[in-house]
Amino acid sequence: MARIELIDVVKRFKGETVIPKLNLTIREGSFTVLVGPSGCGKSTTLRMIAGLERQTSGDIRIDGACVNDVEPGKRDVAMVFQNYALYPNMTVRGNIEFGLKNRGVPRPDRERLVRDICEIVGLTPHLDKKPHSLSGGQRQRVALARAMVKKPKVFILDEPLSNLDAKLRGQMRTELIELHRRLGATFVYVTHDQVEAMSMGDRIVVMNRGEVMQSAAPMELYNDPDNLFAAQFIGTPPMNVLPLSALPGLRTEGEGDPAFVGFRPEHARLAPESTELPRDGIVIAGEIATRESLGAEQVCKLRSDAGTFFVKSFLNPYSGGDFALAVVPCERLYFFDRDGSRLRRLRAVQPQLAAAGV
Amino acid sequence: MPAILNRLRPYAMIAPALVVFSLFYLYPIGYMIHLSFHDWNFISPVKTYVGLNNYREMLADDTFLQVLRNSALYTVMTVLLATGTALPLAIWLNRKSAFHAFVQGAIFSPHIISLVSISLLWSWLMDPEYGLLNGLLHLFGIGPLQWLNDPDTALISLVIVAVWKSLGYNTLVFIAGLQSIPPELLEAAALDRSKPWTTFRRLILPLLSPTLFFLVIINLIGSFQVFETIAIMTQGGPINSTNTLVYYIYEYGFRYFKIGYASAAGVILLFIVGALTLVYFRMLSRRVHYR
Amino acid sequence: MSMNNAGREASASGASGINRRIDARRIRAFLELVLLVANRACMLLLVCAFALPFAWMLSTSLKTLPETMIFPPEWIPDEPVWSNYAVAWRSGPFFTYLLNSLIVAIGILALQMLTIIPAAYAFARFRFPGKGLLFGLVMATLMIPAQLIFLPVYLMLSGWKLLNTHLALILPFASSAFGIFLLRQSFMQTAEELIEAARLDNAPEWKIMLRIMAPLARPVLVTFALFSFISHWNDYFWPLVMTTNESARTLPLGIAKIRETEGTATWNVLMAANVMLAVPVLLAFFAAQRQIIRAFVYSGVK
Repeated sequence: MARIELIDVVKRFKGETVIPKLNLTIREGSFTVLVGPSGCGKSTTLRMIAGLERQTSGDIRIDGACVNDVEPGKRDVAMVFQNYALYPNMTVRGNIEFGLKNRGVPRPDRERLVRDICEIVGLTPHLDKKPHSLSGGQRQRVALARAMVKKPKVFILDEPLSNLDAKLRGQMRTELIELHRRLGATFVYVTHDQVEAMSMGDRIVVMNRGEVMQSAAPMELYNDPDNLFAAQFIGTPPMNVLPLSALPGLRTEGEGDPAFVGFRPEHARLAPESTELPRDGIVIAGEIATRESLGAEQVCKLRSDAGTFFVKSFLNPYSGGDFALAVVPCERLYFFDRDGSRLRRLRAVQPQLAAAGV
Repeated sequence: MPAILNRLRPYAMIAPALVVFSLFYLYPIGYMIHLSFHDWNFISPVKTYVGLNNYREMLADDTFLQVLRNSALYTVMTVLLATGTALPLAIWLNRKSAFHAFVQGAIFSPHIISLVSISLLWSWLMDPEYGLLNGLLHLFGIGPLQWLNDPDTALISLVIVAVWKSLGYNTLVFIAGLQSIPPELLEAAALDRSKPWTTFRRLILPLLSPTLFFLVIINLIGSFQVFETIAIMTQGGPINSTNTLVYYIYEYGFRYFKIGYASAAGVILLFIVGALTLVYFRMLSRRVHYR
Repeated sequence: MSMNNAGREASASGASGINRRIDARRIRAFLELVLLVANRACMLLLVCAFALPFAWMLSTSLKTLPETMIFPPEWIPDEPVWSNYAVAWRSGPFFTYLLNSLIVAIGILALQMLTIIPAAYAFARFRFPGKGLLFGLVMATLMIPAQLIFLPVYLMLSGWKLLNTHLALILPFASSAFGIFLLRQSFMQTAEELIEAARLDNAPEWKIMLRIMAPLARPVLVTFALFSFISHWNDYFWPLVMTTNESARTLPLGIAKIRETEGTATWNVLMAANVMLAVPVLLAFFAAQRQIIRAFVYSGVK
């Protein structure tokens, strides 16, 4: 396992700056997930760590040593590609052996290593087959085996599960987590799926347009987002964000100039119109536009004068009429300024009626 | 539309093409084989059946054996040079930039120009007294070469012309093949600490093998069919050193009017081309690696 | 750029050895530049190997006869002799040659379009007994070059008194297995839904073929048309065999003939004729380079 540091890394492609200035530390032995929308630079960052792309400027260090000029094969980094990148003209055995052969590992050792790794990933019956006769899941295992057999310090995975069907994906997710625990190497995992990110990583790096929006443990990201982007990236449905001006009854005290207020759908609850208003939260009146029942969960979409927002309830579907009140406790409110930065030293002053319609 | 017409429709659609092919490709082959067993001088209405005589005569003819040898030599040299140099050239020139596109276009240009143009041009370039080639060699102190006028160098001169014409095409086809290799494979090989030569030998070359076979066969078949350059540049000489199969058939058919004999030579050519084609399809189904 | 890096590094790390790092980076950048220049220079040399002959052809075409007989050869004539072109043009019925070439190439293309579109469509979208066999037969003709069958075809056409006519040059090429192959691929790739939607709209089969599939296959058709036109425009062998009459001959034959009539060494006139033959194709090539290359290269790679 190894610590990875990116210091002042800049990447430009033909005049376009993809990564303006990146500073990131990936702890040794961690399962760090880089997550973000398409084009946010997560794959580029990954490839720069592997050495497949050269940064325009800045330093990359693995275990303290600067690897800027070290070629990919010598960085002790293994990679699992999104499309597996298996060598089509070699058998499974050949694919796994290739890296070992290039390092001059003698044949008996090679055979033992290949045999062992195949036992671990369950590929032994397929050793002499070629990639085109394997299923998607099997190919993925070969890609994994090929990476694992090199016993690298750093494991890089570029959206490895995106080509699998849902059931297989869930299966592989747990297998990868177990693998990480067993190998103890540093895992750097890229995905655009926030569910994957939250469930697998012990550290999540949310990226947008080449910048780190927040780097934190999953629960921290959920409970204490740094900015609007991070807040809205996690959660299904994402955090409701309304302009503060749309809630005239809401007053705040503390540091900062708030422009937006947010709350998570699961922290709000619905109550009929005639309910007595609570004293410890805000209330928004609205009309229920849709109700989605997902078994245990229910997601309602409400239209109000403050805007459209969602309310999610668990094992407690709302059975009232179309007009309802959404109640959110004050401590579940998040405030953001005009630039999207989170204002942590600000809170709602007193429970008040908020928004029109009431 | 009535059902019967519906069933006939596809046949009607293929019919015109089939008529052309049957009339001008399949029937002539049969006709040629038939003629090869006869003696005919084209003018008289009588065709005498002579069995395998034409073939026997051919195999006993020194000129024919030399023609076969010339054809084989020419073909082997052309194919080796034209495909052997095209691959490293393709690796060198394989990049998508305006400059590279310009270079690729430049080396491809001879391919679309008429062979007549090329033959005339190179006849002039290779002129022993005033040609540009000897002029360039003169700069390096090398004495004037005879090129097409010397039986020892004539065939090689033709090979040079053939290579000049087809190098660009071969190179661009190789480049297309190289670009169809997914870049992740090469990245995975780099991560597997593969040195450039290893990557080439164990990954690129196997993946390129269908393209390679295709080019070799196309070049082989094309080389056996060489005619224009010979007809314009050397007319088979000097002393039959550049006489090859098709030219031989042409001479016997159109100059000496020994139709049966020429047909027999044509059948030999048919066998060679057919054998090469079969080999190609065999190797295609066996050695090609699929994704 | 490397200077900025070095500067930032110096301030950021402040450690010793930064001077060494600056030098190493500058040296590497310099070496990379040298390699790049050398690489490009070699490529230009390669281009010369292909461009020089054409340049020489042009140069010769503008010389007087004595000027062509200088050794070592000189590139630029004293005065450009444009009259060489006139002499070349007048040395034979070139207008007739040009016309014949055009008629033949266009005629072939037109007939090919007529025969390959329905055939490719039938092979692509219908199922009928014997389809595999018939398709195999068509593909087999790909392996039968003109040089193999010219003699029997010559005898056939001679028997039908068709020698020295345009038909002799056009009919044998009225269809193309290559074209059928390419077009069939293209047709097979058209989504079934499009055709089903058309059928639901009560469109007759021929309309489907002409109004929906042919336009979608246009790039392939253009590619093939380029390939066919250029190949037949340049053809020397077939017209040589099938025609003996000046009035029926095509451009490549006319140019080659100059060599025989003018005697052995009037290279300047010959090269002028050669320029006239090669320049139209070269111009077309520069205009549509990518299309042409795609036509010839990608059509071969299955």
